[in-house]
Amino acid sequence: MAKQAPGVRIDGLTVVYKTPAGELPAVRDVTLTLEPGTITGIVGESGSGKSTMALSLLNAVQPPGRIAAGSVEIDGLGDVVGLRGEELRKARGKHIGYVFQAAQNSLNPLKTVGKQLLDLGRSHGVDDLRGLVREAKELLGRMGLDGARVLDSHQHELSGGMRQRVGIMLALVLNAHLVVLDEPTTALDMITQANILKIVREVHAERGLTTLVITHDIGVVAEVADRLAVMYGGRLVEQGPTRHVLGAPRHPYTRGLIRAIPRLVGDIAEAQALPGRPPTLATVPKEGCVFRERCPLRMDVCDTVDPEAHADGARAVACHAVTVKEHA
Amino acid sequence: MVVIARRLAGHLARGVVMILVVATISFFIVRSIPGDPIAAHTQKLIEQGMAPEAAEQATRVLYGFQATGSLWEQYGDYVAGLLTFDLGQSVTHAGAPVTEVLGEAAKWTVLPVLAGTLLSFLVGIILGVYAAVKRSGKLGDVLAVSGSLLHGVPQYVLGLLLSAIFATLIPILPGDGPVDILYEPGFNAGYIGSLAEHAVLPVATYTLAAYGGWVLAMKSSVVTVLGDDFILAAELRGMKRSIVFRYIARNAILPLFTILALSLGLLLGGAVFIERIFNYPGLGLLLIESITMRDYALMGGAFLLITVSIIVANILADLFYSVIDPRVRSGEEVSA
Repeated sequence: MAKQAPGVRIDGLTVVYKTPAGELPAVRDVTLTLEPGTITGIVGESGSGKSTMALSLLNAVQPPGRIAAGSVEIDGLGDVVGLRGEELRKARGKHIGYVFQAAQNSLNPLKTVGKQLLDLGRSHGVDDLRGLVREAKELLGRMGLDGARVLDSHQHELSGGMRQRVGIMLALVLNAHLVVLDEPTTALDMITQANILKIVREVHAERGLTTLVITHDIGVVAEVADRLAVMYGGRLVEQGPTRHVLGAPRHPYTRGLIRAIPRLVGDIAEAQALPGRPPTLATVPKEGCVFRERCPLRMDVCDTVDPEAHADGARAVACHAVTVKEHA
Repeated sequence: MVVIARRLAGHLARGVVMILVVATISFFIVRSIPGDPIAAHTQKLIEQGMAPEAAEQATRVLYGFQATGSLWEQYGDYVAGLLTFDLGQSVTHAGAPVTEVLGEAAKWTVLPVLAGTLLSFLVGIILGVYAAVKRSGKLGDVLAVSGSLLHGVPQYVLGLLLSAIFATLIPILPGDGPVDILYEPGFNAGYIGSLAEHAVLPVATYTLAAYGGWVLAMKSSVVTVLGDDFILAAELRGMKRSIVFRYIARNAILPLFTILALSLGLLLGGAVFIERIFNYPGLGLLLIESITMRDYALMGGAFLLITVSIIVANILADLFYSVIDPRVRSGEEVSA
């Protein structure tokens, strides 16, 4: 059975974390569609809720967090939020591949990659383990590694870039067609970063995947993503085709982010930092716009009403000021 | 394999040097204790009401020799003896070789200590895993508190408590000696049953005293591993629960094996209190006896045995670690 790239519809997703001050939302009312066969990038600062979002796709938000509302519909799986126990476990790995940040040690330090591959195969009832190993070697070879050698290695014998490719291999080897990459290039040197991104792009196209890339690096998104979603304080503030959003950002936060990127040529002082600091779980405003404290376009309504995302063709922006300007 | 063999050779060489150093130090320390066994024995006889000359005569008859060599000559003899595993004769055991006396005592120490340590290790790590997994629940609290409490109570207090409760207040278990003298030593049900019965309280003391440490160590180790990224990674790859559990257990137990090997070495010397309390004729009791009687050779032998057991335990721990942890194993292969 040849699987096809699944579409993903995230609707009204809210994830809360239990704290001494009550349950606080890390992701609030996020609606996002991943079209089949596309690469979507989610950009945001630390604490913007982007990693929590990524975990939600596997219904794997870790306690004390929980998905409080919303749904994540994945073609061929249904609403992941409703999956429990064995059903959920089997969906992970087989339908949804998850690639960890390279700096994180996502491999058991005591076992060779090959043995962990076999554990993975056994966990998912793969009968043809030889075939699985062959597939893994092919994937690794495709990414420029010596498959046999890597499978025979322990984690500490691999470099960061090699580990990341092993991570991608493990996410794809069971033929998952939805892949979530969480900070895939963080903590890698520039050349390795470029290699990994190239691999992500190529493998995505070759295998017909739907891919979600989580990053704080706009450069990464610009490189690989078809669509871009910007998160701030647990809210999705702007989304649209990557080129449009980066070329003509509308939300004041997106604009600020892009203005903060130093140019390769010209004065370093031209890059302007965003004033203020991002909210933490505890300081996210309970009502009104999450960005208003740092916003140059702040209006009275921003203090009381949370802006809805207004769709405009392929793009959507959640900002009172932008909406007012467009409708004026 | 080559790496392990090379490592073993290095350890053995260092071990031999260390043993020689310790033997030398303990030789001179023991010899610098004031008083000697001959004088001590004479003194004892005089206190028992014997006339001084008669006491001296009786002592000479008892020991059958008088030390004549200088300290350095004695040291030379001692080291020469060491090389042939001859530790001299015990003056308090009618001239029996020290090795024989130690061997006789060792069997009463090694078995209960080994049983107690392994039992507490098994129970401790299993409960430690539960304490970690259920750490936010009641069961976790109970386990952690029991671990802390038992860990805080000194071994000898536990021994006295158990002896008071089960051998005195509710006398259901024997608490004095290693076996009932009624039985003929040998392979018969009565003798073995009596041995087992007498071993219950000492083994229980070793077990309870060590249990707390294992629970706490395993709990913290499991909690650390649970927070490691590769566990979440394994779950997100849809690994079976049983496999994830094996990943956790194997990684968490790793540091504890080192403690286990080291504690086995230490326990040979740590049995002093327990053997005193339960009147168990093991190495601990022998050590006390040899010190009170100024039995130099026996004392030196006992110290040496404790030293050797610790050094051997260290070597075993290190070798074992390189077998179970690939990061240690390949550390030398990479540079080779």
